Amino acid sequence: MPRQKSERFIVPIGPQHPALKEPGHFEFTVEGEVVTNATARLGFVHRGMEKGAESRTWTQDLYLMERVCGICSHVHSMAFVLGVEKLANVQAPPRAQAIRELVAELERIHSHILWLGVAAHEGGFDTLFMFSWRDRETVMDLLETISGNRVNYSANVLGGVKVDINERQKDELLRGMDFLEERTRHYLKVVTEDDTFLGRTRNIGVMTFEEATRLGAIGPTGRASGLLRDVRMDSPYAGYPDFPIQIVTAKAGDLEARFVVRIKELFESYRLVREIVEKIPSGDLTTKIPRRIPEGETVSRVEAPRGELFYYIKSNGTDRPERVKVRTPSLCNCASVLTTAIGHKLADMPMILAGIDPCFSCNDRMVVLNGPAGQSLWDWEKLRQYGIEYYKK
Amino acid sequence: MNTQEALEKAEAILKDLALSFTCPEENRLDAVIKADDLKKAVEALLVTNRWGYLSALTGLDNPEYEVDEDTREKVAVEGKGSLEVLYHFAAGAAITTLRVSLPYDAAEIDSICDLVPAATLYEREAMELFGICFKGTPSTEHLVLPDCWPNGVYPLRKTFKGLNEKAQG
Repeated sequence: MPRQKSERFIVPIGPQHPALKEPGHFEFTVEGEVVTNATARLGFVHRGMEKGAESRTWTQDLYLMERVCGICSHVHSMAFVLGVEKLANVQAPPRAQAIRELVAELERIHSHILWLGVAAHEGGFDTLFMFSWRDRETVMDLLETISGNRVNYSANVLGGVKVDINERQKDELLRGMDFLEERTRHYLKVVTEDDTFLGRTRNIGVMTFEEATRLGAIGPTGRASGLLRDVRMDSPYAGYPDFPIQIVTAKAGDLEARFVVRIKELFESYRLVREIVEKIPSGDLTTKIPRRIPEGETVSRVEAPRGELFYYIKSNGTDRPERVKVRTPSLCNCASVLTTAIGHKLADMPMILAGIDPCFSCNDRMVVLNGPAGQSLWDWEKLRQYGIEYYKK
Repeated sequence: MNTQEALEKAEAILKDLALSFTCPEENRLDAVIKADDLKKAVEALLVTNRWGYLSALTGLDNPEYEVDEDTREKVAVEGKGSLEVLYHFAAGAAITTLRVSLPYDAAEIDSICDLVPAATLYEREAMELFGICFKGTPSTEHLVLPDCWPNGVYPLRKTFKGLNEKAQG
């Protein structure tokens, strides 16, 4: 049979959950089974938070910024408070800094286990998905015990934290870490030894060290390619100078390496949580901070579960910021995934997309409600009314 | 290489290109660059000397303000002032920022995507939110705003106060 002339097709994926249960749109150009080009369209959950931040006070913005992302809410508020405290020349007390780190590491644990489950599900390994999400409940309960919330912990305030940990919570934290460590050891064995699963991850989506450097990959995605890049180590913030981390890297740069790096980071987080629980400094939780922040601009960087989170904050000397710029790790890694996708089979795309642990609501920060005719802008009251009417039916 | 050494090195690299240097914080170096020199500066930093990586690109709108007599609020004046693009590079804890100021009527700058491929998403973002034109950028499609967003309306400019009927056509 004569070989058919190769034809290009464009396969749209999304906006409905291409990999995770969040909207993002990707277009893959395929020749036969092989992807030859990839483009992204984000913004389906864009909410205009950078603009919104300019019209709210510093305190209101803290709550707004915490809601940039539902998975890594604490790191957003942390980047924001650390930046504002730098501008105001205020230092939060050591106990507050340690609690900030504690909550950040608990959040990393929940985020990494969440990712492990989703990525396993994308690879067709639903048993691993269910087990890991069951175990994730342990850390969710711990976060709830400390802060009262499963997400949006609201642990930070400008100048300190508003939650403290007592002896009973310390015991619960230690017990939780023991259980999770044992489970995580099992997961590490599964993702490195299960043949079927390795077929989906080993040598798939390889990003070499050179590519990772060139594309500016960050977080576990970059570290799985051997990049020594972790803000917690490079530029320690909050409690990290007192409770430092050991960086985890791998060489292979494939999906398997991304699994291994994230799982090994879990062990590092367990160790940090235990250390903080044992050696937490005593003292105040907050310090005073002025309502008007002195004029100036600052850059605040923290390590989110997905990589470096970048805040640029500019103050004009009033009680409202002049500009807040948020650059989330998923935006960096999105660029790298679009490049690594080329040359792979279409069937590997969900796994490769999930491999960077994309978080779209982090990226997108505004919603505009345009009717199909494209002319009506809805205000809050109209939206509220619509919601009430909708659920009455 | 510690932070101080890294910043000194960056200053040495950019010595001939920068109009001025400032150190706003101990781990930061700000270099003001002419728009025409941006590519040379990025090449010198990233390609020739391998100094860090592009961490983020921030757009800024610095309009002139005047006080509205009725409401006593500061209002941005249309067309006066300038836009600014900040290219933040990070190496460890050190951050070098290239600051490029652009007038409203010629908000054009060279794209750096051929040097830093990852910049494409940042440029698309600054393009649609601030109306800065990046010459030679590979994609000019919307990134975060909806497809039906009116042309020439840039939400992160200070003069933007929400869409009105006229803008929506």
